[in-house]
Amino acid sequence: MPATAAAPPSDSAAPPVAAVSLRGVSVTFSAPGGGAVHAVASVDLEIPAGQLVSLVGPSGCGKTSLMRVIAGLTEPSLGEALVFGEPPRRAQEAKQLGLVFQEPALLPWRDVAANIELGLQLNPSRTRRAVDVERLISLVGLDGFRRFRPDALSGGMQQRVALARALALDPPLMLLDEPFAALDEITREQMRYELLRLWTLDAGGHRADRSALFVTHSVSEAVAISDRVVVMSSRPGEIVADIPIERPHPRWPAQERTPDFHRDVDAVRRALRDQSRLHPASAL
Amino acid sequence: MADDPPAGAQPARRGPPLALPAAAPLLQMLIPPLIALLVAAVAVEIWVRADDVSIYLLPRPSSVLEEFFGDFGRYFREGMQTLAVSIGGLAIGTIGATVLAAAVAHSPLLERALLPIAIMVKVTPVVAVIPILIIWLGYGWEPKVAITALITYFPVLINAISGFRDVDPRMVDFFRSVNASTWETLLRLRLPAAIPFLFAALKISVTLSLIGAVVAEFFIAREAGLGSVVRLEYEQLGLPSVFAAVLMLTLLGVALSTAVVAIERLISWSPHTPPSA
Repeated sequence: MPATAAAPPSDSAAPPVAAVSLRGVSVTFSAPGGGAVHAVASVDLEIPAGQLVSLVGPSGCGKTSLMRVIAGLTEPSLGEALVFGEPPRRAQEAKQLGLVFQEPALLPWRDVAANIELGLQLNPSRTRRAVDVERLISLVGLDGFRRFRPDALSGGMQQRVALARALALDPPLMLLDEPFAALDEITREQMRYELLRLWTLDAGGHRADRSALFVTHSVSEAVAISDRVVVMSSRPGEIVADIPIERPHPRWPAQERTPDFHRDVDAVRRALRDQSRLHPASAL
Repeated sequence: MADDPPAGAQPARRGPPLALPAAAPLLQMLIPPLIALLVAAVAVEIWVRADDVSIYLLPRPSSVLEEFFGDFGRYFREGMQTLAVSIGGLAIGTIGATVLAAAVAHSPLLERALLPIAIMVKVTPVVAVIPILIIWLGYGWEPKVAITALITYFPVLINAISGFRDVDPRMVDFFRSVNASTWETLLRLRLPAAIPFLFAALKISVTLSLIGAVVAEFFIAREAGLGSVVRLEYEQLGLPSVFAAVLMLTLLGVALSTAVVAIERLISWSPHTPPSA
């Protein structure tokens, strides 16, 4: 497997480059039958390298659109998106992005190991490093399932495969679009701490310097794992609150019963309530 | 781990065995129709003998079998000619249609330009074009293969287009997010996604391929093939030979269809078949 050494994009001399930097980003879609839908309206957002930032907001507030802009999958109608100081297109070329979607989106004809290897095989000259897929499989808790195909796995296990596929790229930026939304409550609560454990590890199990944007509906999920929770209003999506979560890492489930945790949850809930008062159309 | 695999989950097997039915079920499948056929043949035999039906109308089943096995070398040899034309035409038609489908699925402009032409070719009765193909390609195997390809390509084309498009848009996003090339997306995403669709089409096209070959051989009777046997023997009122040739064609049809199913079970990933990693 080709492994080209791509240094992590953090220069020592210059001020550290933000992992993500959005300046006045708007996304407008043309609606069927004329007219336009303003999905996102002039969003400014900075994700410093090493932070895990959650994006919460009501359905249809443009969270996914914003994420697609950062991933270089949607062009912003206005404004500019930078990933490690360069256009998202460059991040794609350098394979710096680890995408995880709400649906696992695995290749049904490939088994677990082959699905995890997929990102390494594509655009192989830019693969950052050789990855021990066995190690990654046990890291995401799928020992013994390497020869299983997706249709033989539960939803939670499929999402672990999708997570491992993203981690295999050893991406400095992970973009997670409601990755646990389709899972049952119990699996979901377990997966958030799995994610927290994994996103700071590289594919070899060592500490990695990684940034992440995590889109979710769940306030407690966001508060549990993030360094910051960014609250968006409903259409057009705007940032209405940016709440730092100052509890130190590592974090674990029992902390969700502490006063600190509840204070942060309340702060995010209040911001969400305020935005729905401002935008009553979204009170759904 | 909270998420156990669902009951009955099997690990994906690597290198699955040739997944034809095991011997016992195969026999169970074959015996009833064979008995029914035998009963029908005996009934016809009795009727033809009792009623003294003319051999120019309906030969006795026994004389057909006598002809078939008595001159088996001939029917086998001619059958192989027909089979070669069938497979050759099917291969060219399938590969051509798949390539065309990839282009059409890739580019809406190409779809608008090429798909109407493909449909026009399809709705034109190929039989009417055979003389033209003979003039262009001569009296050899070439026009036969061309006709067979023309008859077989359409189901493959339509299914392959659907197959190339039947991909999860999230998957396309993932490929884009690592800057995968169009070629990589075709080879690692769209083509595998299209495989079950291709086999569904092949099951239709494989029977069409025999029709194409036989019709072509009617026209180019100077050359070999079961189609030319049928035509020559018909002109000489050799009905037992006509029936023997038809019998061989039936066997070829069964063999070709079975081969497609066997190949599908070997390489296709669709849920009802054993997986290949």
